[in-house]
Order: sequence, then structure tokens, then C-alpha cells
Amino acid sequence: MESFTPVLEAFTEKTGIEVEYRIYRAEDLATILPAQFESGMAPADVIFMWAWWIANNTDHILDVSDVINPDDFMPGTVDQVTVDGKIYGAPYTGKVKPGFWYRISFFEEHNLEVPTTWAEFETLLETISEIPGIEAPIASGDGVGWPLSDVTEHFILTFGGTELFQGLIDGSVSWTSDEVKAIFRDKLVPLLKAGYFSEPKDWTLILEDWWEGTHALYFMGSWITGMVDNASDLGVFSLPGAEAFVFGPDFMFIPKYTEYPAEAKELVKFLSGAEGQTIQVKQGGHIATNLGVKLDDYPEVDKRVAQLLEGATAVTDLDDTVGGEFQTTFWDQLKYLWVHPDEWEDVLANIEAKAP
Amino acid sequence: MKGKVSTVVAHVVALLIGVVWILPVVSIFMVAIRPIREVLHGWWNFKEFHPTLENFVEALNHPTTPLGRGLLNSFIIASLAMITPVFIAALAAYTFARFSFPVKTYLFLTIIIMMAMPQQMVAIPLFRIMINLGLINTYLGLILVHTAWGLPWIILFLRNFFLTLPIEVEEAARVDGASDFQIFLRIVLPMSLPALLSVTALQFTWVWNDFFLALLIIYSPDKLVATQRLVWMKGKYHTPWDALCAGAILVMIVPVIIYAVFQKYYVKGMVGWVIKG
Amino acid sequence: MSQKNTTPLFFLAPAVILITIFVIYPIIKTLWLSFLSPNGEFVGLHSYFKVLRSKEIINLDRFPYKSPPWGALIHNAMWIAIHLPLTLFLGLFFAIVLKEVRGASIIKSIVFLGMVMPMVIGGLLAEFLFDKDVGIVNVVLRFIGLHPLANISWTYHPETALLATILSGVWMWTGFSMIVYSAALAAIPREYYEAAEIDGATSFRKFIHITLPLLKPATLVVVVMTVLYELKIFDIVYAATGGGPGGASMVLAILMYIKAFVAFNFNEAAVLATLLTLLTLPPAIWIAKTAVGRK
Repeated sequence: MESFTPVLEAFTEKTGIEVEYRIYRAEDLATILPAQFESGMAPADVIFMWAWWIANNTDHILDVSDVINPDDFMPGTVDQVTVDGKIYGAPYTGKVKPGFWYRISFFEEHNLEVPTTWAEFETLLETISEIPGIEAPIASGDGVGWPLSDVTEHFILTFGGTELFQGLIDGSVSWTSDEVKAIFRDKLVPLLKAGYFSEPKDWTLILEDWWEGTHALYFMGSWITGMVDNASDLGVFSLPGAEAFVFGPDFMFIPKYTEYPAEAKELVKFLSGAEGQTIQVKQGGHIATNLGVKLDDYPEVDKRVAQLLEGATAVTDLDDTVGGEFQTTFWDQLKYLWVHPDEWEDVLANIEAKAP
Repeated sequence: MKGKVSTVVAHVVALLIGVVWILPVVSIFMVAIRPIREVLHGWWNFKEFHPTLENFVEALNHPTTPLGRGLLNSFIIASLAMITPVFIAALAAYTFARFSFPVKTYLFLTIIIMMAMPQQMVAIPLFRIMINLGLINTYLGLILVHTAWGLPWIILFLRNFFLTLPIEVEEAARVDGASDFQIFLRIVLPMSLPALLSVTALQFTWVWNDFFLALLIIYSPDKLVATQRLVWMKGKYHTPWDALCAGAILVMIVPVIIYAVFQKYYVKGMVGWVIKG
Repeated sequence: MSQKNTTPLFFLAPAVILITIFVIYPIIKTLWLSFLSPNGEFVGLHSYFKVLRSKEIINLDRFPYKSPPWGALIHNAMWIAIHLPLTLFLGLFFAIVLKEVRGASIIKSIVFLGMVMPMVIGGLLAEFLFDKDVGIVNVVLRFIGLHPLANISWTYHPETALLATILSGVWMWTGFSMIVYSAALAAIPREYYEAAEIDGATSFRKFIHITLPLLKPATLVVVVMTVLYELKIFDIVYAATGGGPGGASMVLAILMYIKAFVAFNFNEAAVLATLLTLLTLPPAIWIAKTAVGRK
């Protein structure tokens, strides 16, 4: 939106090519694009869509292997849009879901320390719940459902590992398998039952509550840095032992039916290049996929997040990748789980019913 | 006297009804005109009271789903989808009222049963038809669907109304050599002004208030109608209460004004075709 | 009056064409779709059995002893069971009270507001009025001491989400019931009551023996239209909860939409649409009969 326009303006300045920008919801694009493609039409020359969607629709997409070099980007990123050795999409910046955010001033005020083990994490939660004014240590955002699915995925990644995570995405692992059950039974559900997670509340409203001190921790994506008054007071830590994070970069592609393939490729090259991505990250809230973007180009808070990512594996968001009915069911079931943690086994069964 | 007491009681109860029933609207209004910080714990707190229009501005100019555009879209679609079906339905209704022809009853019955149809029963094929005709995500597509969908009930209503018109006037004109169409246009329609006003007001409101058909057909942000924007504001874009309530007021105010202005016709429209007389 | 010319044809053509293309043909197509498998093979009622046995439609594991979700069909039944009596009686009560009251038209207009505004606002109301921080219903509940109910936001909890949407629907729809009854009451000739009074009847007896019987047609109308409304309910629930949490407020119309346009399972969606339509047939036939009745 507003932060994207400067990048486009820089492109126009550099190349003289004018760009018009429109916003659609990805779900709606997923509905109308197939029909348009069948008729040999496309609503734009460069389109941003989910990686898995790009990979599934390569018949209608231009090969951009000539402008994208996988080595320029974080390992694993370009693979998501590579089919049969050809590259069909270009990575842009994205948002990471690094962990639990807290106010540094709050922690200092109450002598709290970032936990390094699970036991310390539990103790931290216990300590926080005793602090007056705290309704629940962890704020639970609500809305469509992704705030809850994000924190759940963090638990799965940390205690199940990337292979299990991938298995859940492609369907080779069942939600009712022992490993997954163990994660819920031993880690997530006890915290829910102990009341460490708050009642779900609209995620933007509960952000205010959290900032004011009604909650101490808030699991959120890196865009949170642009949503608080004082970003330098922000600290973040991940679940002890986390080695992988959900990193959802935006991907763009060029439909075959564009009337300006050369210009479109120019734009894609610029946007995914270090120059374009740097302009975006400088504004805060975005993390680059291009390895040419330097740590110092990040605003202070984002730098900490970027550092967390160093050496870690990036995975795609689980429910976004599977999509469809699974995603809506996943979200809906998690909302249920949050208020009825005792029925976690039914919840897992219901999720499995719609899983790939 | 018993009479007086029961009247007083009736008035008090009536007042209570009014107060209780308007509370939801008052609540929305209160949140719409006050900054969110003041109402986070309930709008009934009046410690601070700084009425403002900023929420309305925010709703109208929301970055990803501006209501201003939505209101305009709704207005265009509702206006076009109100005139067309009324005229087409009037023609058909007149036929049912005045002419007899084979399969008349069956045709009429079929059309009437369409009124009760759930929109879900036509959703999938309608979607495909729209894509095949190139009308998906267009005003024209939505207007056509609303026109078709509005026809059954408007036909029923107008047919019942035409039946109450004195046939002698039309017969006299026929004796004078007027064609059916001339009789319809010059005599019947002018006599039907009240009924036409009723159906027009109701149809406009019905289209304005629609959500499902728009959900089915309209996708691009610049074409979304007001009701869609409101739901997206709440669901997808998590607009907090202030802009959301302001948006709700803006969306509801149009049909409320129509109701206020056309009240007599509006109510007759709702009740008229359903109850005799 | 009988005309053997072609005028009826021309006059009817636009309407018939539009309705055929955009209403009748899609209905038949959907029906056909419900008998097919995703590959296009004819499988008859196979999908129907599958859908009817699905927990999303009827969940007898949970109904009636556990909290919702109970299955979309049962939820719609709940809508009828709760919404219908409430709107019927409230509408009748209001119509009676407001009959002889000065300034009644203003109050009637207030009650009727719900019918005038878009139904999606009912969804907003369901979440807003029952919110634990900003909801007026919660304030009242707190006042009368029902704290467990007051301190939750109803739309986030499976036990209360369905009820929140239904009550919001009551607020939206009671106006209809009220104006139908108002019109019917106004149509009862005064002489009936005066004659009864001469015979010494009390208000109560007048009500039972004169008013109620004469209100039967109106009651039928209200019941038929309201049941149709409850079966087809979509906007309010979609805007309020999307059917959640955990499907606890799901209704047939929304389930159909999700199956068709989120899961892309067109055949099962067609089955749901057909089932929903079958349920609306009794009211539809009643409407058709009474409509044609007046020739």
C-alpha cells in the first residue's frame, strides 16, 4: 500500500516506465484469474500471488529464469516457484513470524528475562500472571483466525521440526499422529488450560491492551513494528529451541498474456533485486529475501528480526500453503480450541478431516 | 377508571418498547461519533465526550476498502436494478391480470415459486454463466441478476394491484382503437403510480441491502458494493469498532431515508402483496 | 377479457427470458450437478447420503447434550425454534400495544428499522452488542448478576455464538411481524368489538374469541415468511461469525457457499442447495396457492 509506492516510484525514476498499482484480495484473484487466463487475458502485467498458486499455474506464466538467480536469495525461497527447473516467480520481501513480542520497558520494570528453556518459559508465564493488571500473560489476537494459527504453527515448528511441518502441508503427516498430538497435549494445551492465553479478541484492539500492560506477550508477525508508537521499546523472543520460522515472502509473476513482457521483466528484476527490496525494508515491517540487502539497511527493530533469521530455515505459512477449505476449517477449529482446550483431540480430528 | 389505567400502561409500555428497540442503533451511532479510546469500555461512559467525524472520514477513505467508492457502486447498481425490473415486471404483470392464454396459470405459479427460492440454488451455475458471458465482476452482470431475481415478487405485487383497477377505463380506450401497449403505457401505468412507487422503493432497498449476489459476482476492490465493504472491514481488514460503526451508519442511512420519505408506499409494498387489501 | 393476439407474448417475453436464463436454468443445472460426481459421472443420490450423514449437517455426537456445533441443519432448526416464536409474539404484542397509542407510528418505525437496513448490519450487531467490553447486552447481564454470560464475548464462544446471531435476527425481523399484525388488527371492524361489549365481554374474551381467530391469516403469513427467512439466513451469520467458532453457528446457506466457493466441491454444494430448496418448498407452495387464489 503506502509503503509499496516509493519502491514503484524509484523504479519509474530509474527506467522511465510508468506503473499503475491496484490491490485485490488474493482469494478473489484465485477465483477470477483461471477464467481470465482461459480467455487469454490477464488483469495486470505483474501480479503478486501465493507461491503454491504460481507453481500450480505455470501454463499461464512467463518463465523468468533469465532475470532471477536463485543464489541471490535466501535458501529455499526460489524453490517454491521453480517447476521442472524453470523459475516462474520472483521473491519480494515478506513478513516473518518470529515469536513473542514484549515491551522492553515492561520486562525491565518487572525484572523479567527472556527465557532460554521451556522450563524458563513456563516460569516466566507463571511470574507474569501474578503481576497486577495482567489479565493473561499472552494476548490472543482474533479475527479471521490467522493470529491463532500463526502461534500454533510456531509451536509445531519448534517442537516438531521442519520435516513434520512440511509433512503436515503435503499430507504425509496426519494431525492425529502421535508426534502432533504430543505437541498439543504437552505444550500448547497445558498453557491454554492454565489460562496463560487470553480470550481471543480482535487482534488490533488487543494490541492496544497488550501495549498498555493488560498482557505481556503477543505472538505476531514482523509488521507489528509499524503498529506501535515506540518501536524501539519492542523486543522479541522465540520459543526456546526454535530453529525455523514461518517466512512468507510475497511472490510476483508475469502472466503470458501481458502486452509488455520486456517491461514487466524489468519491473520484476528491480523489485526482487537488492535495490528494490532495500527501499521496501528501509520503511520497516518487511524482511528481505534478497541476500544483497544489508543488515544495516533495516530499521533497528527489524534488524533484530533479520538477525533471528540468520542461519534459520524459512518455511511457508502452513494454512496459506494448503489454503481452501482446510484453511477456513483450521482457523475455525483453533478459535474453538482456544475457548475449549479440553476438546483438543476432537479439534485435531476435525482439522485432519479437511487436511490434504 | 380501568380504561385510563390501561391506556397509561399502554403508553409506558410503548415507550419502553421504543427505547429498548432503538438502543442497538444508538449504540452504533455513539461509537461512530466518538474516538475509539473513549468507548473501549462501553459507550455509556461519558467521562470524556468529544464527538468527532474522524471515524466517518476513516471509513470513507479506508486504505484497502474505502466505503466512499462502495456507496457509489451500490447507488449505481441499485438505481439501474430498480427501474429495469419494475418496467419489465409491469408488462408481465399486466398480461397476467388482463389476458388469458394457454399455460397462464402454470407460468404464473412457476414465477411465484421462484420468490421463495434460496439464492444458493442458482449460485454455482449463475457464476459460470457470468464468466461465460464475460459479465463476471461487472456492474451489468450484477444488475441483470438483480433484475431477474426481483421480477417474481414485483410481478406478483403488480398483478394483484392491476386486478383492482377498473377495467372499464381500459376497455373504453380499446374501443377507441388504442393498442395494448398504448393502453398499458398511457392509462394503466399512470393509474398505478402508488404501486409503482412501492415496488421501486422496495426494489432499490432490496438491491442496496443485498450481500450474497454481490459476493458472488463482484471481486475487484473498486467495484465492491457498500455491504461487501462493510463485511470486509469487519472480517478481513479488522477495522476496530469506530470506523466499522461509522461505516454501518453510512450504509444504513440510505435505505432509512428512503423508508422515511416513502414510508406509506414502503409498508404497503411489504404488506400489500401478502395480505389481501 | 380474452385476447387472441400476440400482445401477451411480447409483454411477457422480457420477463420470461430473464427469469429463464438467470433463475430457472441455474436451478435445474444445480439439481443436475447434485446427481453427479466430481468427474461428471452420474451417481444419483450417492452425494445426498454422504452429505446427510456428515457431521457438518447433523452432529448427533454433540446434540443435544453438548454445546454447539450441532450441524448446520440443526442450527437452522434452532433458528426456527427460537426466532419464530420470539418474532411472532413480540410482533403481535407490539401491534396490540401500539394500536391505541398516540405517537405509535414513531415507535413502529423504530421497530421496523431492522427490516429497512442491510442484514449484514445484523452481523455487526451480533458481535458488537454481545461483546464483553463494549456490548450493552453484557452490561445488562452483569447488572442482573449473570456474570459468566456477561464476561464473554458471545460470538467467540461456541455455546453462545448461535444464540447471538439468532437474537440479532430477532431484532432485525420483528418489525415485519409487527406491521403484518398491525395491518390485520386495523382491518378488524370495530362493530365486532362493540357488539361483544354490549354482550358484556371482557377484554380478555374479546381477544380470544374475536381478535385471535381473525388474525389467523396474518399469523399464517408471518409464519411462512419467517420460516423462509430462517431457512435461508446468510448475511447476519456470515458477517458475525462466518459460521464459527468451530462451526458452532454454521447454517445451511453458508455451508453451501463454503463448499462451492472455498472448497470447490460443487457437487456437494449442489446437494446442499437442493436440500435447502426442498425445505423451502412447503412455504413456497403455500405462497403460490394463496397468490393464485385471488383471481
